[in-house]
Amino acid sequence: MNLKRQLLLVSLLALMLPWAGCEFIRETESALRAGQQEMLAGTARALANSMARYAEEFPDRIARTVAGEQIFLHALNNRPRIDGYIDDWLLDLAALKTLRGNDGQVRMAVGTYDRMVYLYVDVSDRELVYATAETMVLDDGPRYADRVTLVSSSPPYLEERIVFAAEAPGAIVSYRQDSYGFAPEPAITAYWQDVPGGYRIEAQIPADMLGTDLGMVVSNTSDENQRGVRISSYSGRRPPPAVHQASELRQVAENLVQTGMRILITDSAGWRIAAAGELTESTSNRSFGAGWSARIYDLVVEAGEVAASAEPDAGGREQQPYVSAALDGRETAGWFRGDSNGRAIVAVAAPIVEDGEILGALVVQQDTDRILSLTNEGLVRLINVTLFSTLIVAGALLGYASWLSRRVRRLSLAAEAALENETLHAALPSALAEDEIGDLSRSFSSVLRQLGDYNAYLRTLASKLSHELRTPLAIVTSSLENLEHESLSESSAGYTARAREGADRLRRILSAMSEASRVEESMANFEAESFDFRKALSSTIDAYRDVYAERTFNLDCSSPSVPAKGSPELLIQMLDKLVDNAVGFSSVGDTINIGLDVAGENLLLSVTNPGPPLPDRMRSQLFDSMVSVRGAEGSRHLGLGLYVAKLIAEGHGGSISAENVDGGVRFEVRLPA
Amino acid sequence: MAKRIAIIEDEAAIRDNYSAAFRREGYAVDAFDARAPALKAFDNRLPDLVVIDINLRDDVEGGFELCRELRARSSDLPIIFLTARDSEFDAVSGLRLGADDYLTKDISLPHLMARVAALFRRMDALKKPQGVESRMTRGDLTIDTERMTVQWQEQTVSLTLTEFWLVHAMARYPGHVKNRQQLMDAAQAVLDDNTITSHIKRIRRKFIAIDASFDAIETVYGMGYRWLSA
Repeated sequence: MNLKRQLLLVSLLALMLPWAGCEFIRETESALRAGQQEMLAGTARALANSMARYAEEFPDRIARTVAGEQIFLHALNNRPRIDGYIDDWLLDLAALKTLRGNDGQVRMAVGTYDRMVYLYVDVSDRELVYATAETMVLDDGPRYADRVTLVSSSPPYLEERIVFAAEAPGAIVSYRQDSYGFAPEPAITAYWQDVPGGYRIEAQIPADMLGTDLGMVVSNTSDENQRGVRISSYSGRRPPPAVHQASELRQVAENLVQTGMRILITDSAGWRIAAAGELTESTSNRSFGAGWSARIYDLVVEAGEVAASAEPDAGGREQQPYVSAALDGRETAGWFRGDSNGRAIVAVAAPIVEDGEILGALVVQQDTDRILSLTNEGLVRLINVTLFSTLIVAGALLGYASWLSRRVRRLSLAAEAALENETLHAALPSALAEDEIGDLSRSFSSVLRQLGDYNAYLRTLASKLSHELRTPLAIVTSSLENLEHESLSESSAGYTARAREGADRLRRILSAMSEASRVEESMANFEAESFDFRKALSSTIDAYRDVYAERTFNLDCSSPSVPAKGSPELLIQMLDKLVDNAVGFSSVGDTINIGLDVAGENLLLSVTNPGPPLPDRMRSQLFDSMVSVRGAEGSRHLGLGLYVAKLIAEGHGGSISAENVDGGVRFEVRLPA
Repeated sequence: MAKRIAIIEDEAAIRDNYSAAFRREGYAVDAFDARAPALKAFDNRLPDLVVIDINLRDDVEGGFELCRELRARSSDLPIIFLTARDSEFDAVSGLRLGADDYLTKDISLPHLMARVAALFRRMDALKKPQGVESRMTRGDLTIDTERMTVQWQEQTVSLTLTEFWLVHAMARYPGHVKNRQQLMDAAQAVLDDNTITSHIKRIRRKFIAIDASFDAIETVYGMGYRWLSA
């Protein structure tokens, strides 16, 4: 991972800032909400206590299993027209109670308005069977028809039935059946409407005609001779009590309710029997809408349930967990939040208890607009400020990292280039900087300088050494030569001869050691002359054949003449070194190939010999002074030959390289033509 | 009377060895370790031949200075540089000051003796009238083996002893390639490739100074050199 990425990663720490801010806002928000909940809980408890005084207003407790079959009487706000349409009930369609029938759903609703009870039934029926005069009368006659029966009773009295069947669509006559008989009931208005796949009935029944308990049965037949299927709203023998609005409780609640607060009162089954107050619609000017900031807000603030579920249940039965908990005797708080408008509601449900019996639950709901607007504003400001500062921090760090890594990269490139070009005294970038990179640059410089000095020392070592040794060697040889003129015993003469031999060898070694400096000297003031390289090469190779009789030499040159510019003597001397090297690494009988080629602007001179490959580790130093890849047996080699070859090649503006080829080694000199 | 040779050499061991060798050959030897005492002695009497080391202890270029002063006093006094300095530049400087030969300390005593003898022989020969029998002619080239002088197109080419011997060795059998070893033997010296190359170059330059179209010395690459007869 490079420096830039590392610092970018570090800059992520700046995200701590918004995180901390969010934590703070979350804390504030939940503290405020907890306060409001606390307050609301107090209100709810007080209200529940006062409601307990109206115990007689609450319906009797009934079995939980039956509670779902109770019919809720919706309090309507206007008088509907009896026309088979439910639109004018102004009721949420979710308020319709659904029964499962054999041809599909049966949906129904019952409402009250001004001492009238309204019924709406929507029956799915694949095959309508209309009534006739004779089928109209009895449920269990010889003939049957599709019909809806409203069953009501006021225990312990007998139940009554109101039957709706149609001889034709449109306004229909309904029949009332009670212990006195079965007769058309003119007080009831009803309308039958055929719709594709079924029919709808809307009816208006005077409230005093119905008892406390209410149920509905739909008879669906496809053949007037068959009894058909009964679809009933209740499972027991008798219908359960209907849920009536407790107007007394509503009045009490309305007296107690405050603005921006809603009170719901349910019976012990959760049916809402009174409601008062309205939540204020959010009016505060939101500085953010449904975009990204709302999403951030969602992330930051503890999620509540969706606000819609805080609304009174359309079907009339409050079944939110917090209400259910209150009905079990536990005072519980709920927390609702809108997804788009930021509307939030705190709700508390408290049980209404009288003599240890839970009569119902009291739900108090309140808007948390003030908290919201407070936290929203803070959040928006926080997000803006921290986002901005985080961007600045990240940007600054990124820029800083780029700058830093560029400096380091420049330094390393410069150091590599200095090594490559052997300009070891060149100034490196950042050398004047006072930071650690400056230090690094300076240490690099000093390492490179030392390396350069060392290299220069090595380069001159051989010639210096030979120079310094020449005088003592002259003393030795001249002494020996003088000694030879004395009368010596035979053994002394032998020793002297051996000493002469040794001194002679020493002289040759010293001469080889100073060769490089003499070649450098010649390079410095040689005059380039034009000559035919091929001609020079063939005569030289003839000479090699004499000198190295145990090798075969092969000249590989396609053109009959190769004009070249330079010092032929030095170039031949370079070839001598390469051939000497090739001979040293090959064995008796091997063929040494000398190639000369014109490649574009360059002359390519190559010497290829069979033999062991070059070790990789020596590759780069092969042409350095005093470097030899030979083992101990080649100790007469000081590693100057290839260095001399390199000096000559580079002195001619060329280059020299070595590579392993199949079964041997190939040296190649590239010279400008 | 024995010829008198002066040796100016700061290294006592070498000085003594050379002195002993010269004395053995029958020369009288004056040995000095620095420039000042040598010059003082030369005020009284000039020797017949001088062997000078360039580097005289702290007097780094002392040998050159000495050569210049001696040449000022006598134009025909044979002067030989004998030094550890083997650079081309030093050799050229020394010869330009009028030295008759520039030798490195690699040279063996017998070779040195041969050179000294040759120089004396030349001195003697120059005093005598020119003898025809010692003359050798190869086209434009005339070599006087006694006086060790060379003429090209009847103009004298001034060569050092080493150069003379190299030309002589090549021109004796024109057309024959003389390899490096043969040339070295002829020049009574141990020379390496680069030194022979630069000698040949200097010789060519000297001839070209007289005759711009001179090309009698041919390089046979890898082998040596040969004299081309016109």
